[in-house]
Amino acid sequence: MYKEYSIIICSGTSCQKGVPGELTEIARQVLLKHGLDQKTKISLSGCLGMCSKGPVMIINPGYTIYGKVDAGNIGKIIENHIVHKKEVTEHVIHEDHLFNRFYSIFGDMDFFGKQMRIALRNCGIIDPDDIDDYLSVRGYEALARVLTDYTPAQVIEQVKLSGLRGRGGAGFPTGIKWELTAREKEPVKYVICNADEGDPGAFMDRSAVEGDPHTIIEGMIIGGYAVGAKNGIVYIRAEYPLAIKRLERAIASARKEGLLGDNILDTQFCFDIEIRLGAGAFVCGEETALIQSIEGFRGMPRPRPPYPSVKGLFGKPTLINNVETWANIPVIILDGAEWFSSIGTEKSKGTKVFALAGSIKNTGLIEVPMGTTLREIIFDVGGGIPEGRKFKAVQTGGPSGGCLVESDLDTRIDYESLAAAGSMMGSGGMIVLDEGACMVNIARYFLEFAQNESCGKCTPCREGTKRMLEILTRITEGNGMDGDIEKLERLGRMIQKASLCGLGQSAPNPVLSTIAKFRSEYEEHVIDRKCRAAVCTRMLTYEINGKCVGCTACVKVCPTRAVSGVKMNVHVIDQSKCIKCGACYEVCKFKAISKQ
Amino acid sequence: MTAMQLLMKKRNEAINRILGKGYLATKRVYVGNATCEIAAGSDEVMEVFRNAIQRGLTNVYLSSKGCAGRCNLEPTIEVIEEGKIPVKYGRITKEMAHEIVERHLKKGEVIEEWVIEG
Repeated sequence: MYKEYSIIICSGTSCQKGVPGELTEIARQVLLKHGLDQKTKISLSGCLGMCSKGPVMIINPGYTIYGKVDAGNIGKIIENHIVHKKEVTEHVIHEDHLFNRFYSIFGDMDFFGKQMRIALRNCGIIDPDDIDDYLSVRGYEALARVLTDYTPAQVIEQVKLSGLRGRGGAGFPTGIKWELTAREKEPVKYVICNADEGDPGAFMDRSAVEGDPHTIIEGMIIGGYAVGAKNGIVYIRAEYPLAIKRLERAIASARKEGLLGDNILDTQFCFDIEIRLGAGAFVCGEETALIQSIEGFRGMPRPRPPYPSVKGLFGKPTLINNVETWANIPVIILDGAEWFSSIGTEKSKGTKVFALAGSIKNTGLIEVPMGTTLREIIFDVGGGIPEGRKFKAVQTGGPSGGCLVESDLDTRIDYESLAAAGSMMGSGGMIVLDEGACMVNIARYFLEFAQNESCGKCTPCREGTKRMLEILTRITEGNGMDGDIEKLERLGRMIQKASLCGLGQSAPNPVLSTIAKFRSEYEEHVIDRKCRAAVCTRMLTYEINGKCVGCTACVKVCPTRAVSGVKMNVHVIDQSKCIKCGACYEVCKFKAISKQ
Repeated sequence: MTAMQLLMKKRNEAINRILGKGYLATKRVYVGNATCEIAAGSDEVMEVFRNAIQRGLTNVYLSSKGCAGRCNLEPTIEVIEEGKIPVKYGRITKEMAHEIVERHLKKGEVIEEWVIEG
């Protein structure tokens, strides 16, 4: 139901240090007393990032932020604000942050409750095609601040202090990358934005570029200033036509406003950005392959060192960061590195964007503070598994990551914890699986992707993944052999150790992690020739049960004429002719075909 | 003029241009316009609002927006009115958009059953 008021109470750890749920309960009582309980929605928010002034509460409409709210005063504040329409001025926080503005619009939605939007702060709020909209929400102010007040070294210091790490997956400290590029003495340097998003099911970068292209441009200009580069390149895949169009338009209007090009904002600093389109090879998301691709060669990784910060594009020092990393930069400058580093866990600061997909009620693009648990993401933000099915596993990190199970759900999201639990952060794909998923088949799917996308340069990846895929395919088809699981493990470890680039080294992960956590399911496939989730069709037996009314629909659809029977009589499937295509199962309206 | 002063000038100009486009209208309508929203049919929905304004619907500021991340509810739109909680609609078709124009934008009625819950 549509409500007239919304009260949002911060559920960050420092704001909730009192009695749990106490503030919410008092708020509810006060509203009840004034007959406003039906007209008001009380919700919890993720960390609002104003911990020193906490506990924090927002009242909408009007986006009034109250600080130092406690059990003693929350009732009075709500009474004054909502009933008497008077702000309690001594508790109002007048802070203008870049993040969290979405609470003024989306604050009453539980989906946004545990979220904190830094990189996606403007996505879904402003018109991405209009630079005026971006300028009006303090756009390019971080750039102006940097050009007015900071030396390049000071900018790098801020980025280092913030604790920001690469959001592309590997998590290398961004500030150190900037410093390494800055200290090179070459007169020509490059800044690259890696928008070659390739993980199946991941669309973080596309959404960020489509929803707020200027943020990335602003981040890159600041990066250029910090490392002493004049040329920026956005490497984006050609299958994102709208993102490319938005970016082109954004670059053109930034140039027109004097924010890009020669003498930015009338200073001595010059920097321009061009777009390079990728043809969609997964490997080109790897930085050295990406550089080769821009240079006009076939996209293949090369050994590091030398790192791109020393010898990158055209042999010049090059700074490469992911879209999401760039989007964080303006916030770090304006809201402060110290503030940024107060969010998250000890070694992982800030937030992370995830593309939530699979068997989950609210599929979507979310951004949560580091340190949020998988359980909170799946059940609070995602709303849990639909239709009462049971949670089975969550796949993070795409084709480089692994599957985590029920007992891992309290893992806090950060680079180290996810790795320790047997998966990885990756670029942010998160696929939730319920009991209807076959883990062997999932592993096969990701390995097939990695195999198809292997660039072929080094043998372990090229040949190893091929052999692994053959074994997995044979297992899912019911032809698994004794020792196949051990073979997969041995091959997987070999590929991890001997591959040249990160993609090869991580390609076996989905297989190895599912073997580690679901070994019995693999064994059932190999030994009992059974798939408990009834996904691997080759192993299934289709049979007609008592619900059959004799409609002949399945008889007509069967391509091998394995089903026989006449009208009004129960039909029969001849197992020796059945090729297990499932056509009869799909066409039957009476649930008369069982598969097991 | 420092870079910061110049930027402030640019920001004020930008805000003035936005105001000039009618931002202070009674209602502001934001229609999702990312690849995902368009795939779900947001172009047609946008067209309905654009046509309504061309045909004389006044006091409405229409804008596109990026993706707010509600994949399963797209196309999404928001109707924002000063002093009221923004109304968030999900899974809007062009027929529903017509009704939003008639009932919500013209008569101020919130169409409860299309409001996104949670």
